This record gives sequence, C-alpha cells and structure tokens, in this order.
Amino acid sequence: MSGLFRRHFLILPAAALLFLFVMLPYVNVLVMSLRAPSDSTPYGEGFSAGGYVKLFSDPYYFEALGQTLWLGVLTAFVCFLLGLPIALHISQASRRWRGLLYGIVLSPLLVGIVVRSYGWTILLGNTGVINATLRNLGLIERPLPLMYNSFGIVVALAHVFLPFMVLPVLGALQGLDPAVGSAARSLGASRFTVFRRITLPLAMPGIQSGAILVFVLAVSSYVTPALVGGMRVKTMTVMVVDALIDQFQWPFGSALALSLAVSAGVIVLVFARLTRMKWK
Amino acid sequence: MTEVSILSLVKRYGTALAVNDVTLKVNHGEFVSLLGPSGCGKSTTLKCIAGFETVSDGRILFDGHDISNREPEDRDIGMVFQSYALFPHMTVAGNLAFGLEMRRVARDEINRRVADVMELVQLSQYAGRYPRELSGGQQQRVALARALVIEPAILLLDEPLANLDAKLRDEMRTFIRDLQKRVGITTLYVTHDQGEAMTMSDRVVVMFDGRIAQAAAPEDVYDRPASEAVARFVGNANILTGTVEAGADGAPGLRFGSEGTLLRLPAALPAGTAPGRGLRVMARPEQVRLTAPGAGDATGTVVSHYFNGGFIDYRVRVGADEIMVHAPTADRFADGAAVGLAFDAGRLWPLEGAA
Repeated sequence: MSGLFRRHFLILPAAALLFLFVMLPYVNVLVMSLRAPSDSTPYGEGFSAGGYVKLFSDPYYFEALGQTLWLGVLTAFVCFLLGLPIALHISQASRRWRGLLYGIVLSPLLVGIVVRSYGWTILLGNTGVINATLRNLGLIERPLPLMYNSFGIVVALAHVFLPFMVLPVLGALQGLDPAVGSAARSLGASRFTVFRRITLPLAMPGIQSGAILVFVLAVSSYVTPALVGGMRVKTMTVMVVDALIDQFQWPFGSALALSLAVSAGVIVLVFARLTRMKWK
Repeated sequence: MTEVSILSLVKRYGTALAVNDVTLKVNHGEFVSLLGPSGCGKSTTLKCIAGFETVSDGRILFDGHDISNREPEDRDIGMVFQSYALFPHMTVAGNLAFGLEMRRVARDEINRRVADVMELVQLSQYAGRYPRELSGGQQQRVALARALVIEPAILLLDEPLANLDAKLRDEMRTFIRDLQKRVGITTLYVTHDQGEAMTMSDRVVVMFDGRIAQAAAPEDVYDRPASEAVARFVGNANILTGTVEAGADGAPGLRFGSEGTLLRLPAALPAGTAPGRGLRVMARPEQVRLTAPGAGDATGTVVSHYFNGGFIDYRVRVGADEIMVHAPTADRFADGAAVGLAFDAGRLWPLEGAA
C-alpha cells in the first residue's frame, strides 16, 4: 500500500482537483438532469427522465446535437489539413525561424475570445469586409452567406484551435530520427512516398491527440458559435445556456449538457480506437 | 557487382571545404573503409555517394555511369545508418519488404526474399516484431538485411557499429564482413574506429581535412603509413627523430636520442636520404623488444607500465623521448628499472619529409 502511495502521490493534487471540480459537478449535473421540471422554480419535486425524452423525441434538439458533433469533426479535420503542413514546415525550419513561427502559430490564442469572435463577424457579415469588397469589385451582387451558418463557425473555430493541432503534430515530428526518411529514400521511395508511407504514419500519434483536442474544444465552445452562428445555427452549448439561463429549466439544460458530453466522449473513444497504433 | 569511381569530388559548405578533391576507385566486390577523425569528410563523401548531399564539384560513377545528379532513390544503393533508422511503425518483415515494394516486386516474391534475408541475418523468429521490441544488435541486423534484400549495386555503411557495446561490436564486425564476402557486394564503410577498418576492409582509405591521406591495404596503412599523421591515427606509433649516418659496415643508420644510439635502418629509404640529413622513423610499440640494459639498440628507464591482459604496455624514457613498448607478459620490468630497447630493423619505417 505504501509502495502504491509512493509511486502515485505526485498525481494526488491533480486527482483531488479533478474529483472536487469535475467529477462531483458532473454527478450534480447527472442528478439535476433527472429532476422533475417545474414552471415556477428551476426544478420541481421528485425525479423524471422527461428531459432526455424531450431531447431524443424532438428533432430540433436531436439535430442540434448531431450538428454540434459534426461541426466538431469538421473543425478537427480543417485544423488537420491546415496544421499538418505548418507542423512539417516548422519541424524543418532552422532554430532561428522556429521561435518566430511558434509565435505566429500561437498568436490566435493571445486575443480574447469575445474580441476575436466579433472580429470574425466584422469580416464575414453580410455587410462585412469580405462581402463589401467583393461587391465593390463587382464580383458578386448578393452577399455570400459567410456567417450565421456552419461555414462561419468552422472558420472561426479552426482559427483559434489550430495551435492545438499544430503543437502535438510538431511534437511527434520532432521526435523522429531524420535518418528514417533518408533510409526510405535509399530504398527507392520518392519524396512523396516518404511522406505517405513514413512521415504521415509517424505523425499519427500527434495527429490523433491534436484531433481529439480540437474536437473536444470545438464541441464545447460557446462564445464563437453564439456570436458567429447567431440565431440560425444553434449548437448544443448555446441551447444549454438558453435552457439554463433564459428558460430557467435546469433539469432539461442538464440533460442537454450531459448528452453532449457523453456523445462527444463516445466519439473520442471510437476515434482513438480506430486510430490505435500497434507500434507505439 | 558494381565498380564505384569517385573523381575529384569536392563538397563545399559556404566557403568551408568538407571534401577536398577526393579521387577513389572501389573495385567489384571490394570492401573499402573510409577512416578518419570526426569532421574529416568521410561521412560527407558517403552522403554524396548516397545522394543525400549534392556534389559541389567532381563526379561519381557507378560502373561508368555518372550518377552525381541522380536522386537517392534512383541510385540503387543499400545504406545502413548509425541510428539504424528502422521504420518504427513497421514490423521487421515490413521494414524488409519496404524496398522491394518500392521496386514493385510481386508480393509472393517479396515474401520469399524477405524470408531468405531474415534467415541470412538470423532474424526469422522476429518477423512480426516492431523495432522497439528488438535489442540494439538485432536492430542492427534488420538494418543490414533491409539494405541487402533489395540487392543494391553498392552497400554503404555509416558508422553502423558505433551504438553497440564493445563485445557485440566485435561480433558484428565478423558478421558483416562474412556476409559481405558471401553476398559479394561492393561496400563502402565509414568509421572512426581504426580497429574496425583494419579487421574488415580489403582497403583502408585514411582521410584528414577532406583529403585522402592514404588508400592502401590494412597491412600497408599500418606498417607503411604515408605520413606521420597516418602513423599516429592508425594504431600507436613511436616516431624517432635523428640524423642519418653510415654505420661501421657502411649500411645507413639513424643516430637518435641524447645518448646518440645508432639504429640500423632498412635498406629502402626515401629519396633524398643521405648521411647528415634529418630523418623520422616509425616503430610500432609491438615492434620494440625490452632487453637487459646494454643488450639492445638503446638504453632507457621504465616510466610506467599498464597490464592489459595479454600484454603489458610500457613507457620507456630514452633521453628526451618516451618510447611505447607493447610487450608480452613474460617480460616484467618495474617502474624505474633500466632496460635495453631492441628495434626490429627490418620493420622500422622511414617517414616522408624532412625531420
């Protein structure tokens, strides 16, 4: 027992913190989601599974859940497409450039989330910078639908979560022996084949963690979907806040929140399972 | 089998010359070592042959075909790296099959050849293992097999044994050499370890500062080094400096040390050697014998001795010089004892250039 303690005591503070501020609140949310609804108070007497029934029987909520998870997948995929070349480039850059490139990659995180989201509305809006410019150039007559749809949300989310893809992929790439690529070429592989058969598979551990990070962050983001998505695209997080704060329905809001967390968790598990690497 | 010709190879990094006018021909099936201290240009030369470095000047020919500007994948080489550079995400069999897949060999032939080469390097039972599950020596053998299975025109090895422990390194030396002889492949081997170069090679190419200092059979490099630098880099060397004199019988001798001992010199002396001229002569430590004081060619005092298992390494002071003697354990002399030194006149090697 004392041996077990000695080996694991360093994670005690973090474990305690997680238990107190994550596990317990989740239990609280679970209990709340099963409370009976009420019209006059946040929740009523007794218990009921009504919140879940409403969520899964009303297509409005059910589709929102699907839409939210799909946006998360899309954001992760866009971050992968944009992030992989960046990570490849930085991994091959000289030390002098590397610091600067790191700074550029991290720069979206330096701007507050509200400011950044408003920034995107200025760019993407119907009278925003992009549409106004295109209209003035005579390239379009009606404004392009850049905002209040999934496109705008994915653009704004990918912008801020890109570093969470680049950094793990970069970590994986920098751990590689450069001679491995040379060995492949000496065996007859072209540069592209080396990328396809060697570099990409060896970057997979980084891609895997990056994709999970971006997906989880995107699915649980609130401010950006709320501002860029507006009233037309409602993600689960927006609905949770609606239910809890505007409609004052704590059991239903909790059911929404928990359903999102569980389904996102399942997707992460399935993804991790599918991309499992035997060689690690 | 392929013949490799390196013609006036130059590799510049900015203004620095990493390889400075290297010309070398490697014959069909020959095992040639590039030996030198770090930064002497041996690895750069190998990388130029492999195609991982561009050639600044000069040409590299495989069987008369200029391949200087070909991509590495078009050169038909097999290469073994110091870090082995195995593909961590592929099994042993996957690593071995990779080069054959690149050559679009049919699947059943791939399987056959991979099985054959695993037998050759005694790894058949590890086909399904990943590299991280193998020991250093096993990884080394996979790397070797991966380079050989494609039956390349030439085999390039870049310090392949540097990461192994001493005992395994000795085993792998013979293993690689035997394998190379069996396969009969033209081989270039880069090392900083003179023992490796000596035991494995048909020919040793000693390099300093981007240039070839000597290219010769191991015995010649050891017994007849082209310069003092080669003599000192390859094995240990006593360099005796003195003046040439005619001995009592008229044969040339070397007057060296403060005691003015006259050493008999071998008959063949460098051009321009004449009585009265300065001369440097190399004597290997094992070519010097310890005798009773007064019995040898010179007399000295034992400064130190180190027991080395099969031998004892003595340092003997003769005048201002200190002579290294690699003596059998039967000869025992205490530190401070007066001893005689007998040189093997036939194997003294006069070095080129004035003393």
